[in-house]
Amino acid sequence: MTAVTEIPAQHARLSTGAQAALITVIFGALCLALEGVAPWLVKWPAAWELPATQWVGGFLDWFLNGIKPAMRLFSDLMTYPMNAANFVLGNTPWPILIGIVTALGWYLGGLPMAALGFIGLSFVLASGYWAESMNTLALVAVSVPVALIMGGAIGILANEVPRVKAFVQAALDVMQTVPTFAYLTPLLLLFGFGPVVGLIASAIYAAPPMARNVMLGLERVESEIKEAAIMSGGTRLQQLFQVEIPAATTQIMVGVNQCLMAALSMVIIAAVIGGFNDIGWEVLLTMRKAQFGESLMAGLVIVVFAVVIDRMSGTLATERKRYDSRVVWAMLAFTVLFTAAFWAWLPNPSDLTVLDPMATAIDNGLTAFTQANGPWLDALKNNSLFYVLLPLRIGLDQAVLPFTWGFAWTPSMSYGLFAIGAAIALLMAWRGHLTGGLVVLILIGMLETGISNLPWPFVLTGAAALGWVAGGWRLAALSVGLLCTILVSGLWERALLSLYLSGAAVFFCAVFGGLIGLASAVWSPVWTVVRPICDMLQTIPLFVFLIPVLMVFQIGEFSAFLAICAYAIVPMIRYTRHGLVNTPEEMMEAAISSGATEWQIMRDVRAPYAAPTILLGLNQTILYAFAMLVIAALIGTTGLGQSIYLALGQADVGLGISAGAAMAILALIADRMVQGFAEERRKALGL
Amino acid sequence: MKKLGVSLLAMTVAGVAHAADMGAVDEPIKLAINEWTGQHVTTHVAGEMLKAAGYNVEYVTAGMMNQFQALADGDIDATLEIWSSNVSDEYAKKIDEGTVVEIGDLGLDAKEGIAYPAHVADLCPGLPAWEALKECAQVFATAETLPGGRLVDYPADWGTPGADRMTGLELPFKAVPAGSEGALIAELRASTERKSPLLITFWQPHWAMSAYDVQFVELPAGEEACFNDPAWGPNPNAVNDCDFSPSRIFKASWSGMEDKWPAAYEILTNYQLAVEDQQPMMGAIDVDGGKVEEVVAAWMSENEGKWRPVVDAATQ
Repeated sequence: MTAVTEIPAQHARLSTGAQAALITVIFGALCLALEGVAPWLVKWPAAWELPATQWVGGFLDWFLNGIKPAMRLFSDLMTYPMNAANFVLGNTPWPILIGIVTALGWYLGGLPMAALGFIGLSFVLASGYWAESMNTLALVAVSVPVALIMGGAIGILANEVPRVKAFVQAALDVMQTVPTFAYLTPLLLLFGFGPVVGLIASAIYAAPPMARNVMLGLERVESEIKEAAIMSGGTRLQQLFQVEIPAATTQIMVGVNQCLMAALSMVIIAAVIGGFNDIGWEVLLTMRKAQFGESLMAGLVIVVFAVVIDRMSGTLATERKRYDSRVVWAMLAFTVLFTAAFWAWLPNPSDLTVLDPMATAIDNGLTAFTQANGPWLDALKNNSLFYVLLPLRIGLDQAVLPFTWGFAWTPSMSYGLFAIGAAIALLMAWRGHLTGGLVVLILIGMLETGISNLPWPFVLTGAAALGWVAGGWRLAALSVGLLCTILVSGLWERALLSLYLSGAAVFFCAVFGGLIGLASAVWSPVWTVVRPICDMLQTIPLFVFLIPVLMVFQIGEFSAFLAICAYAIVPMIRYTRHGLVNTPEEMMEAAISSGATEWQIMRDVRAPYAAPTILLGLNQTILYAFAMLVIAALIGTTGLGQSIYLALGQADVGLGISAGAAMAILALIADRMVQGFAEERRKALGL
Repeated sequence: MKKLGVSLLAMTVAGVAHAADMGAVDEPIKLAINEWTGQHVTTHVAGEMLKAAGYNVEYVTAGMMNQFQALADGDIDATLEIWSSNVSDEYAKKIDEGTVVEIGDLGLDAKEGIAYPAHVADLCPGLPAWEALKECAQVFATAETLPGGRLVDYPADWGTPGADRMTGLELPFKAVPAGSEGALIAELRASTERKSPLLITFWQPHWAMSAYDVQFVELPAGEEACFNDPAWGPNPNAVNDCDFSPSRIFKASWSGMEDKWPAAYEILTNYQLAVEDQQPMMGAIDVDGGKVEEVVAAWMSENEGKWRPVVDAATQ
């Protein structure tokens, strides 16, 4: 069995890990010891900071003003398709649109898909947000082709010119990790006010998945097919467009699907600028009034669109059978006749209030819930803050106060704690787990100091050590280099705060998401319940979560923590379940025939096999947590998220981009490290 | 420039000014619709006035903080409710550039202050006098602010007026920035529904003032001296030991508006709206669920005397 053969390999690697951990411990101990003598070790002195945000701002102002005329021209050009889409969607009578979507659903996926389209759009109609939804659809209808062309071109370019591939990969990472809020201000400056800015923002965010899938698809075209194209004497362009791209269609269609979803999720962010009376703006307005029911309804409209678009475009990516096109024509004919016959009686969709009672009921339900459960929810919040979040942020030495823990923290307690840590480390080293012991010691040290008070040399060494273990010296150098740019730009403290909050959330998500994923994998009814919740959490505008969380737990870190968890836990659940469920049959059979119990199979076969997939889930969870950090700033957190939001308000291009870049750096480093570990596991498993 | 505007206003009110040119009547005038209901009312009243004068009006949704670039580019022609307490640096930049011009006060009598929902007076007897807060801080304490009380302040990008007051008056409170207006409202709503303590930085006119029965804490009057002279006020060692300085609410337009639609520019410059008029309309929309257009139309027909003269002065 593979699980057994890989053990020696693990032993060989342990020494690297142990070395790295040892260096980190020594650095941490040095920093602690010198804390009193050299305060600059703990806190990066302000005098050493470079006015990087101003430089970035100055440079960008100059650069943006330079390319502004060209961009304004592009912006003017884009208003034509924009207005056209708006006009068509805005003036098509609603029964015809529902008919077309239902017919399209039938054509793509038969009866279930047709029913989905019909019910989905009927919900949108009943919500009374028809006009706003059409504006949103118009935005998506224009931004997606832009994203597809952009993404396709990038993908083909990377395929044709292998030298730029690494650069393209990095650029795609940046496009996906820099928070959209950070580049809204420069976009506003470039493209002028109006829906075009939202369009560009969502195109930037939606292009990378397309590009990645085009690259992947073209890479996977079998060499025989390519050779056949070469032999038949086609030019390179003919080979590409007539042979390779058609052969890669299925993968490219996955890209189209992802691109659509990404564009839709960005609509709400673009609404912050305004200029367009779309569904995102409605969510913002209702959110401003703390009307949970109404904002949930508006949010659900977006969910409905996401589900309909996802399932329909998803069928494009799979082999599908043809459905009778006569039914399509019959449906369309019926719709037109229906519209013509009842033209005078069609209600104005904006006047429909069928769902208003539901919104009110949800709102009242929230009120009743907060009233009934106030005391224990407060206790939950206070305990989590006192005993978990605060110690993590400012360390036990500052968080333990007579008010909260009932006693004051003294230096001798710190020494005691370190002594316990050292004892555990020694014990574990003696038992042969040197790395584990050292890691425990490091973690205890971090708990005593608090993440936001960690000395910067320690953070740099720690990152380098992790990078070294995960991906060799190159990753270590990359991590340190990138972190240094945050250090000198003066955003270090905010970055540590962001790191603390997202770190706590990621840890929570990893544990609980992993457990839920495990439960879903072993017992399918759990998954039946969990799956639609996951779908909803991923597509509903993140803003909508904030109201109930705020109502129950008030402004503050705990609310932000919960909001981040609600969003970031989803990939952990999905990937864990996916990894555990998809153990190859022959491995399962081998295990069963050797008489292993259910539990043994889980521990020794399925879990190790699923490890790389679960690590990928963790990777996504980290990226999601960072993405949500900016939204959580609306609840009132500190850290980079708040800086980005502040910069948007003050139109401070330099601060916005610098803080966005710092966030992207943290996300990128975490991403590379986890991927490095996943890669190793995969190699160890022989995949 | 400002003086000229004031004298112009005096002249039109006196009925001396002669009618201005209508300008490009065929092109719609674009008015900004921001994120809050009061501004919707203000803007729709102005829009209806322009329509009564014979103009086309288009309402464009625009983020409060992000609208000034649009105003400078002429993508939006006017925005009619800017709060001096909550205006981005970009506005000042655009004014300096000369691409945006200020077109006078709106006449809304705004008040900002430290506030609390009415039931909190039971938890902290002695309110609304500010001295009561010295003794009650424990009542407002939470996990993050211990041992001090918790004050929910404005979102960080609106400044930190609440925190400044607490420092100035040496009150044992820690200010927590709210993050967004929605967060402020959610706090008010949760506190009212759970009868829990809450001290918050808030303002009027706002629909939530009546919906959650919000009261202001009585602070020493916010005179100019309080903000410059530490000796002034109850705390001899600090500035800001008083109420908020009265905030100004004003209007601004794109610099090209005066030439393009002279009469419309004059109407918007002279346009005034009082709290007594705006607040009931806000209530009719946010509390009773009315539509902005209908509520404003009803007000327009009932209060023709309040707006018709401004339109007539510019067009006849």
